[in-house]
Amino acid sequence: MATASATRPTARPVRPRAAGSAAAGARRESPVKTVLYVVAAVLSVVVFLVPLAWALLRSLQPDAVITAAPDWKTFFQLTLDNFRNLSGIGSIPRAIGNSLIVSIGTAVLTTALATTAGYGFGRFRFPGSGVAFALILVTLMIPFQAILTPLFLELNAMRLTDNLLGLVLFYSTVNLPFGVFVMRTAFASIPGELEDAANVDGAGTMRTLTSVLRPLVVPGMATTALYAFLASWTEFLGALVFLTRQELYTLPVALLNLQQGAYGTIDYGLLAAGSVIAMIPCIVLFVALQRYYVAGLSAGAVKG
Amino acid sequence: MALSEAPVRAQATAETTRRGRRRPGRRNAGSLTHPTRTAWALVSPGLLFIAVFVLVPLVFAIYISMTNWPLIGSYRFIGLDNYSAVFRDAAFRDSVLYTLLYTGIVTLPIIVVGYLMAVVVRAKRRGSTLLRTIFFLPYVIGLSVLSFITVLEAQPDSGAINVLLKALGITDGSTAWLVSGPMATGLICVLVVWGVSGLTMVLLLAGMQAIPRESYESAALDGASWWEQEWHITIPMLQRTIAMSLILSVIGSFLAFAQFFILTQGGPGRETTPIVMYIYQRAFVQLQVGAATALSIVLVIVVGLISAAQFWLLREKD
Repeated sequence: MATASATRPTARPVRPRAAGSAAAGARRESPVKTVLYVVAAVLSVVVFLVPLAWALLRSLQPDAVITAAPDWKTFFQLTLDNFRNLSGIGSIPRAIGNSLIVSIGTAVLTTALATTAGYGFGRFRFPGSGVAFALILVTLMIPFQAILTPLFLELNAMRLTDNLLGLVLFYSTVNLPFGVFVMRTAFASIPGELEDAANVDGAGTMRTLTSVLRPLVVPGMATTALYAFLASWTEFLGALVFLTRQELYTLPVALLNLQQGAYGTIDYGLLAAGSVIAMIPCIVLFVALQRYYVAGLSAGAVKG
Repeated sequence: MALSEAPVRAQATAETTRRGRRRPGRRNAGSLTHPTRTAWALVSPGLLFIAVFVLVPLVFAIYISMTNWPLIGSYRFIGLDNYSAVFRDAAFRDSVLYTLLYTGIVTLPIIVVGYLMAVVVRAKRRGSTLLRTIFFLPYVIGLSVLSFITVLEAQPDSGAINVLLKALGITDGSTAWLVSGPMATGLICVLVVWGVSGLTMVLLLAGMQAIPRESYESAALDGASWWEQEWHITIPMLQRTIAMSLILSVIGSFLAFAQFFILTQGGPGRETTPIVMYIYQRAFVQLQVGAATALSIVLVIVVGLISAAQFWLLREKD
């Protein structure tokens, strides 16, 4: 299949990042590989992008079209009715608002907690730091799914069930270990000389953090915030268990109600439109900030 | 909406100011004089969250699991009865077996598909960055939303899955995917592989980019084919990353919930009920919190062992 490439010593630019510095020789690829790449690319677009575009198309079709065998005469008569009708079901706009509150709250709180903890772990050597960091690592091993019942009883006793703040605290805890991990790496990778220089220049610790260290850890903070936002935006089990009052439902739970016809009849047009609304922030945020997202994941992967 | 928004914001601001005040206090002391106190002040809010929302529930869980705790009403201590019941619980055994089956089906395809994606996008070619984005999009959208979309596309005669299979001449297009255990399982497995392989791709890609280019150049000079290079260089050097992706994927499968809950509610009967859904039903539908928590402890131990294996595997070569 790819034997043709074997005769070309420089045919494999495996490391795009390092390629710029060392690639003195020709980096021309064999035509076989180029063709394979194009085929794979086209196939990938069909397999991964078409279903999402299809979902968007569905959200613009009325229920009657979605639930009937495709009739090409009506299939492309698109309408915004689903979205209009969704906004008429009070619970849905409220659920979108709830999801925004919970996700933004979680992103802010997780990032604040992870940044301070990451600063502590990444730039200070102190007795007990090993144990404290191990404690956070251990949390990574305890899935929240498995402590859901005691957590429910505890949150209930603290009056934090049926409470968006309770959900924010819960999601922040779930996302914290990863965030601390990312932020510790971010702080630890800053050269110590930089901090020393700031000290020599008379900058206090606070000043050092805000003007010298901050710009260097902003990418890590973006990773943490984005990760926390996306995770809480789509989280399902916790929201299902911790919220019982309909006016507090987050979007995924409200979609479940749509699917089960809790707002009257089952209308797949509404479900499609609701799903598209749930998809949009994920896609927009990820496409805009994917550099941070992928960097964060890779940092966790390689240094883990 | 505005009412409930306020406390969240207030909470966030309170957090910031509290920490903001703490740091200037440190300025006088200087990080060299009292670094320990400062460091503990920095890490303790995070530790407090972990303690309150992870460690306390975990200890509490051990206690609850030894009672006949109902969700509402009084309870009494029953020792290890819940645990001995675990082994007699046929429904739990079925959910474990089903979870193992599901994990067994999806794990290898996720790794293989993720690996192939990484191979396609690892070199900087025209459009490779865009492809990475596309591969990762389903994972970002999340299995819960993907499952809702799948609900309508799995309908007999009208859903895209059936329409496509009919057009290809594979089925007559009237398959009711979600009411048959094996059909629903197959559908969910395809959905999950499609949805989460992007994560494996990102993890493997990071590992691939860390492999020195010279390794390939010398192999290519020796006349190694693409496949030989992959087999003798990439895969051995990616061992740790592959092991980690594998374990992450296995843990994810063990904890699967949303896709089953949304698509089949565990049915027909209990045919598609994974462990977490069974525990959820015992606790929050049948209101047997004590028994459910004993099952949870078993799950914590199993997942803990898998994670411990992960740390052990990753630490070995350091």
